[in-house]
Amino acid sequence: MNYKLLHIFRNTPFGRETFLQSLSFCKTISASPYVYIPKSDKFLMYFNNDTVQVDLDHSYLTSPDTAKKHAEILFAEMGIKPLFYEPKNFTASSLPDISTNFDYLCCPRSVSDISSKIGLGHIGPRVRRIIKHATFPVLITSPVFKPWKSITVLFGGSENAVKALKLGLKIAMSSGLPLEIYTLLEKQNETHYKSLIEKEELTEPVNQLSQKWHYYKKNDFDTMLYDIPHDSLIVLGAYGHGIMKDILLGSKMEHIQSTLTNNLLIPGPNSSVTLL
Amino acid sequence: MFSIKKWYKILYHKLFHLDDRLLLILAGSVTGICSGLAAVALRLSLESVIEWLHPYRHYGWAFILPAIGAMLSSLYLEKIAREGAGHGVPEVIYSVSRYGGLLRFRSSFSRLISSFLTIGSGGSAGPEAPVVMSGSSIGSNIAKFLSLNDRQRITLVGCGTAGAIASIFNAPIAGLVFAIEVILGEWKFVNIIPIAIAAVAGAEVSQAIIPEQVVFNHQPFQVGFSDILPSLGLAMATAIISVIFTKILRLSGKLAKITPFPLWVRAFIGGSIVGLIAIFMPVVLGEGYHSIQAMISETFSMGLFLAFAAVFAKIFSTAMTLGWGGSGGIFAPCLVIGSLTGIVFHRALFALFPTIGFASEGAYALLGMTGLVSGVMQAPLTGIFLIVEITGGYETILPLIVVSSISSTMSHYIEPASFYFKELIERGQFLRPGTDARILSDLNINELIETDYVKLSENMVFRNFIDILKTSEQHFFPVVEDETGEYKGIIQISSIRRYALNPGMYDMIFLNQIMDTKVLTASQENDLQEVLDIMDINNMAIIPVVENDQFIGMISKTRILDLYRRELMMQTSIH
Repeated sequence: MNYKLLHIFRNTPFGRETFLQSLSFCKTISASPYVYIPKSDKFLMYFNNDTVQVDLDHSYLTSPDTAKKHAEILFAEMGIKPLFYEPKNFTASSLPDISTNFDYLCCPRSVSDISSKIGLGHIGPRVRRIIKHATFPVLITSPVFKPWKSITVLFGGSENAVKALKLGLKIAMSSGLPLEIYTLLEKQNETHYKSLIEKEELTEPVNQLSQKWHYYKKNDFDTMLYDIPHDSLIVLGAYGHGIMKDILLGSKMEHIQSTLTNNLLIPGPNSSVTLL
Repeated sequence: MFSIKKWYKILYHKLFHLDDRLLLILAGSVTGICSGLAAVALRLSLESVIEWLHPYRHYGWAFILPAIGAMLSSLYLEKIAREGAGHGVPEVIYSVSRYGGLLRFRSSFSRLISSFLTIGSGGSAGPEAPVVMSGSSIGSNIAKFLSLNDRQRITLVGCGTAGAIASIFNAPIAGLVFAIEVILGEWKFVNIIPIAIAAVAGAEVSQAIIPEQVVFNHQPFQVGFSDILPSLGLAMATAIISVIFTKILRLSGKLAKITPFPLWVRAFIGGSIVGLIAIFMPVVLGEGYHSIQAMISETFSMGLFLAFAAVFAKIFSTAMTLGWGGSGGIFAPCLVIGSLTGIVFHRALFALFPTIGFASEGAYALLGMTGLVSGVMQAPLTGIFLIVEITGGYETILPLIVVSSISSTMSHYIEPASFYFKELIERGQFLRPGTDARILSDLNINELIETDYVKLSENMVFRNFIDILKTSEQHFFPVVEDETGEYKGIIQISSIRRYALNPGMYDMIFLNQIMDTKVLTASQENDLQEVLDIMDINNMAIIPVVENDQFIGMISKTRILDLYRRELMMQTSIH
């Protein structure tokens, strides 16, 4: 399967880190990265039931004459064929429509070049809206380039967590890297989560691909976060129930963002994930 | 919020599940009320600011007011709302044609604020297009909240448009007609009822909040047979003025774009020029409803030549306002230019034939307005119903029809695309329902790709291929590289007969020696129209789809026809 990832290129040192992360992700799972070099400071993405305008800050338009060259150099460093995306449709002359026909989208934590925000792990409102409406999983990169060597799925039992688990399995299959599952036991016990994956017919692939399923008691949230390997790709569903919902939407968000600097791969509520 | 959603889900499944007309009527009424409120808010705030600024207009420095307003408007749109300038109607049409009416929430208020700044300060523009944008966005976002599908969302966008126009002009029929004729482009039973109700709701909101609101006071007109022939002449005049107006508007926009200044500076320059013109000709300021009223009630004081100059001054001022970064619509300027054209025409007629008893100047002002609206928008019904409703001039209906039809036909002949559609047509994005372009754009290329093709290795011996052929029904076989899976070429059964009929060669040739490497390929990024063009030009019945050197599948004309018919039936069904 030829997976496609869309990357919005930012011709700055921060942008380079994000792009290297995209390239590394694509190389690991054999996907093709498509680079969009913005020519205006905003663009639209039309999803099934919403349209999201992404307002970029001026760092995305830095030195447009060198942007393509810089991207090509990084492509060459990673040994990947350069592919550039050019929008075909425009809602207004300065407002291109970016296709949503991709398998992944790479986003920095915030569509902003304010390093203090990024350092604190702040996930910007536009990134959240993209996650909410995207039909594809969103890769939110670590602030600096950090290749990952394993896959960690945070499984909370919700519908979106099941999507995350499927996505984690899919990434494990295409990358050949080890997968581990982390579950915080809130109101249920271990059997409940096992029966959930059995219902979803995921027991077999989980047994085959996952190395270990870690369970933590409700109060051990911080311990769980510490135990997650620092060089692991974290796959988690957005808008789940309980703790997972809090992670992305509530007060826990800033906590996990500032605690973990790992790359995150997030299937939103509208994304569809299949194992194949 | 949760309980609203819960009740909505219960209602949706119990009440609206079988027939969504009731849902659309209810949602349409809410949309009409909301867009009506938006229109009333803009109207009241414009009236207040115009009244507030009125005493300062006679000062010399007042020419700077439209400049400041246009500058603030462009800064607001660019830096705060982060939207492009302009009136927004093409954006609504584009969204309806291409994305099932999806519009950003911010559009529901951004254009109201920006046009308030532009028009309130004296910029030559109208408040109608901004309220259309706002109403449409309200409709689209209500549809989003209710999780409606594309067809239902488009209907609510129409409801928002109709409610806004009905409210600002207190003209529900014009609102209905404008929404269907200009925005949706299709007269469907399922659309008409909710849109009509939304238009009534919008007009009622407007009447409830501003009971004394009458856009233009009705004057009785005596229109006779002797006015039919002059109507033809006026229709031609308005058609020519319409084309000139459209061309100058576009030219002005293009000119502004090639200047090296940022948008807010351009808007300031445009506004200053309007302010300077207004020193000598105040008729160019703002939306111009007072001047129109004066022309209809025959109290307009300008002479023939001055009125003639005013036509072009208004055209130029509107172009400087909208083309150079101000915000607003062309509806009201059309009405001013049209009524001025009618006045000029009547006075010229009277000078040439003083003994013939033509209808009054006010009646010709009405005819001129219809001619201009119909000519610029190429929407004859909107032109007729709008003027009849806002002036109550039903006695002029026959010449109105004559002027409207001839003006829209003539301007269409000279300039095939209306002002609203021109940009979309140039970008190839004017896609009306039921048209070939729309159906092709609505078909998803991924749906058309047939992926169940057996791929062959380029190093396969021909004998092995013959074995596969015995059990396969494929006529085309993609050939790929062993290691990378890179697409190399294709084998067509029709082109390998001579090898197949010669068993002696079975072990002597490999597939990479006989595959066709010159067959053109398509990509998933191609539009269907582009794929069809490649197939037509090269006389191909089937085309391989290759993405990033990987074979994805094939697209055949048979498959396209199947899905084309399905989509056509869906788009043209009476419901």
